[in-house]
Amino acid sequence: MPEKITAYRFDYLDETLSQLNKEDCAIVAGGTDVMVLHKSGRGVPPKIPKPVVFIDHLSELKRVYQKDKDLHIGSCSTYGELLENPLIPIALKNAIKTIAAPAIRNRGTLGGNICNASPAGDTLPLLYVYNAKLLLRSVNGDRVVAISDFIQAPRRIGRNHNEILAEIILPSVLEEGSHVVFEKIGNRNADAIAKVSFAGYIRISNERIDDIRFAFGAVGPTMVRSIDIEKKLLGKPFPLSETDIDSIVADFDQIIRPIDDQRSTAVYRKTVALNLLRYFLNTSQYQPN
Amino acid sequence: METDAPPTARLLDLIREEFGLIGTKEGCGEGECGACSIFVNNSLQNSCLIPIGAIAGAEIQTIEGLMETEQFKILDESYSECGGVQCGYCIPGMVMASAALLSENPNPTDAEIREGISGNLCRCTGYNMIVDAVELAAKKGEVVCQKK
Repeated sequence: MPEKITAYRFDYLDETLSQLNKEDCAIVAGGTDVMVLHKSGRGVPPKIPKPVVFIDHLSELKRVYQKDKDLHIGSCSTYGELLENPLIPIALKNAIKTIAAPAIRNRGTLGGNICNASPAGDTLPLLYVYNAKLLLRSVNGDRVVAISDFIQAPRRIGRNHNEILAEIILPSVLEEGSHVVFEKIGNRNADAIAKVSFAGYIRISNERIDDIRFAFGAVGPTMVRSIDIEKKLLGKPFPLSETDIDSIVADFDQIIRPIDDQRSTAVYRKTVALNLLRYFLNTSQYQPN
Repeated sequence: METDAPPTARLLDLIREEFGLIGTKEGCGEGECGACSIFVNNSLQNSCLIPIGAIAGAEIQTIEGLMETEQFKILDESYSECGGVQCGYCIPGMVMASAALLSENPNPTDAEIREGISGNLCRCTGYNMIVDAVELAAKKGEVVCQKK
């Protein structure tokens, strides 16, 4: 007899949350990471160690709406759905277009990418520079945490077993005048896991830097971002001087500690990460987006 | 369709093993090669990554279903005329991706075609003949844009 597999697929979020409150389960959204992680070969269902709860059909987790200046994105929105949604900022869409390929974008979800907590998670550097907040829902109510607090280590997140990531909140993302870039370096344009990724955010007013943020992916256990280093650039005249740029790059040289693995080497990753940072800081003409 | 397969079973296995529809191929089994591409509610997806429990009630179309359409006939002719098929293993997935692209965008540019088939690996053709085939299919078929 094949091993018995328990799986739930409720019609409503409420019932799903009640079940999660009773039992520790593996939550499956699109499944594009889970199915690979637990893959067991042709004809054999993946061995997922806990009871499974399917959630990606829940329309309550697919809503995208604006509330004040914040953009709320339902966690089970697929990349493909976000690309078609007029509320999603162009910069975010441009980044999403570089992720995976059409077939996976039709399945993979933004919430899944976060909860998978891969050091190379494609959307993560961008969500870090957007200062994304995560709304976690359980039978006890909602709580909101910063993404940088939620993701603790590779594949480790601060989710209690009775909670679901319900919404990703991008604060003030719809404000005018900011510029966002996203770069991903991989072996292939489509479907590659990043060797290095980078996201930068800048807002300039009266030729001075009002706000600047940057985050690196795949060069540490979680995204690398330093608010202390970013603060050094606030109020600086724009374009930045060579001296300022050199000093910021040198600061990051100290804190980026990539590893060698099957995809790349530590030396390559660090070189490319610092080059991407230098390129971003050197840009003298940002296209607002 | 009903099945007794476990809810975490891969849609790919259900299609091939239980339903005997072997046009859908398994290449990498991890979403990188596109050989197992199918339509779920008209959207192109990798069947190796889909646990069947997640898609209860959805409408699935495989290459066998597409073969009955006018769109397929045009793609079939175009792939043949351009030499887009060599060993053929990637072709069912490639044709599904081509059909998905042309249904959304009946007149794609070269770059859009390459983006449309970017999730599908072919180790024989070097892709140029496949891109030509999709371009030719677009030309042949004002009809191609008729939704599946």
